[in-house]
Amino acid sequence: MRRDAFSDIHPAVSFALFAAVLVLTAFVLHPAVTGISLVSACIYTIVLKGRRALLFDLLAVLPFIIVVAALNPLFNHEGATPLFYLWNGNAVTKEAVVYGLVSACMFAALIMWFYCMNAVMTSDKVIFLFGRVLPALSLIFSMTLRFVPRLVSRIREVSAAQKSTSPPMKKGVVSGVRHGISVISVTVGWALESSVVMSDSMRSRGYGGRGRTAYALYRFTARDALLAALAAAFTAAFVWAAASKAVYFRSYPSVKCAPMSVGAVIGLAAFAGLCLMPALLNAWENVKWRILSSKL
Amino acid sequence: MQNADKKRLHPGVLALILALLAVPALIALGVAVWDDRRFYIVSLLIILVSMAPFVLRFEKRRPGARELTLLAAMTAIGVAARAAFYMVPQFKPMVAIAVITGVAFGAESGFIVGAMIAFVSNFIFGQGPWTPWQMEAAGLMGLLAGLIFHRKDGSLPKLLPLCVFGGLGTLILYGLIVDTSTVFTTQKEITWQALTAAYGTGLVMNLIHAAATVVFLLLLARPMLKKLNRLRVKYGMLQ
Repeated sequence: MRRDAFSDIHPAVSFALFAAVLVLTAFVLHPAVTGISLVSACIYTIVLKGRRALLFDLLAVLPFIIVVAALNPLFNHEGATPLFYLWNGNAVTKEAVVYGLVSACMFAALIMWFYCMNAVMTSDKVIFLFGRVLPALSLIFSMTLRFVPRLVSRIREVSAAQKSTSPPMKKGVVSGVRHGISVISVTVGWALESSVVMSDSMRSRGYGGRGRTAYALYRFTARDALLAALAAAFTAAFVWAAASKAVYFRSYPSVKCAPMSVGAVIGLAAFAGLCLMPALLNAWENVKWRILSSKL
Repeated sequence: MQNADKKRLHPGVLALILALLAVPALIALGVAVWDDRRFYIVSLLIILVSMAPFVLRFEKRRPGARELTLLAAMTAIGVAARAAFYMVPQFKPMVAIAVITGVAFGAESGFIVGAMIAFVSNFIFGQGPWTPWQMEAAGLMGLLAGLIFHRKDGSLPKLLPLCVFGGLGTLILYGLIVDTSTVFTTQKEITWQALTAAYGTGLVMNLIHAAATVVFLLLLARPMLKKLNRLRVKYGMLQ
């Protein structure tokens, strides 16, 4: 992953921004909104991981888009304008095609945003955010993340040890499976036993006592407050525009979109501002860095 | 609150009350404003609210260190096992591990481990709109296994009914929940044709998944339950 300014801000702010973008993208089905969201997600993917990763992610999303876009007109025959008729006499309507295309792009945008969120909201941030609200589950989460690589390296060790101590393995599927099962059995036994040792150690070090502290790397700075206020203002403006139907789109019974108005422009601009905030923050930090280094 | 010991409302209870109040309001809002997306919104909210009681109850009784580390170990085994079978599509041991946990530790732990395996392994396989539904489905399988097969004295269940339960549960319950979520996420109106199409296209995947659950239960259930029983004898756990 490349250096990303948005990853350095307070996790509460980045989490809230992702949540707002995901919820608004999922709930407001409107071609412009979906388009803005998808394009912004692609831009931020380039910032985060580069152009090749964007191509890779888009290729992974493509099958979903095709299935979703094709499924709706095939099974939904509502709508006023039939385009052509299927072999069983059902109409494929313009409305159903439009709805299928828009919801396919919405689906793609959601997945692209989830990819970005995966990269930015690392496990330590998840624990930092939810450690107070859900202490037991966050602890299970963080211990699981530590256990998995330990399990994998243990499996390698056990496998090597078994190969070196037992008579040379015969070739073939059966002996391979038998070897695999015995390795897994040993490793699972070890994992369960070591979890008991771990819990004893936790207890002797005072787990469950009062005054639990958290390893907190993040401080809520003035920049975080400014970004949070901006995001809240963008969200409020867009929700207002959507609620007052200035930003409005429906595909049934006939495709209808609210005409461009001042409210629609404000709402869509606010949504674009919200979606582009991570990428713009990076651009802003780059400019700041150029200015600072040119003064040297 | 009149009771002295109930002076401070537990934040979890507060969240639950808020959620229960918020759902009808959001359903009304969804119908009024977003008539295009109301199935998606309402179904997502119901999933989240139905998970909340388990989570809050679990958090509220403040589980001890031994329980937490054991549940984490079971979750890690499930995640590692899912990662190990990465190359085979849909051949996932996730449900089998949740079922075994439910049998050994009871319904609540089965739910927690099933949901956590789905959540954590999706950090590897990709989070998405499907994550809450997968969590709910795998959690419910662990929950049901605990309700049906969990015995306080730790006696092992018969393998045949366990495998039948695992196979049918994966095919019907898990498959139904996850396939329905696809329709809810992408369709405007829920029609029987769309549902049957989703179940039809999902059937092969669900059959593979069910077969995987049966195979893993056949291979893993006995030895793992014996190991867990050994922990009970050796350390006096799971009483």
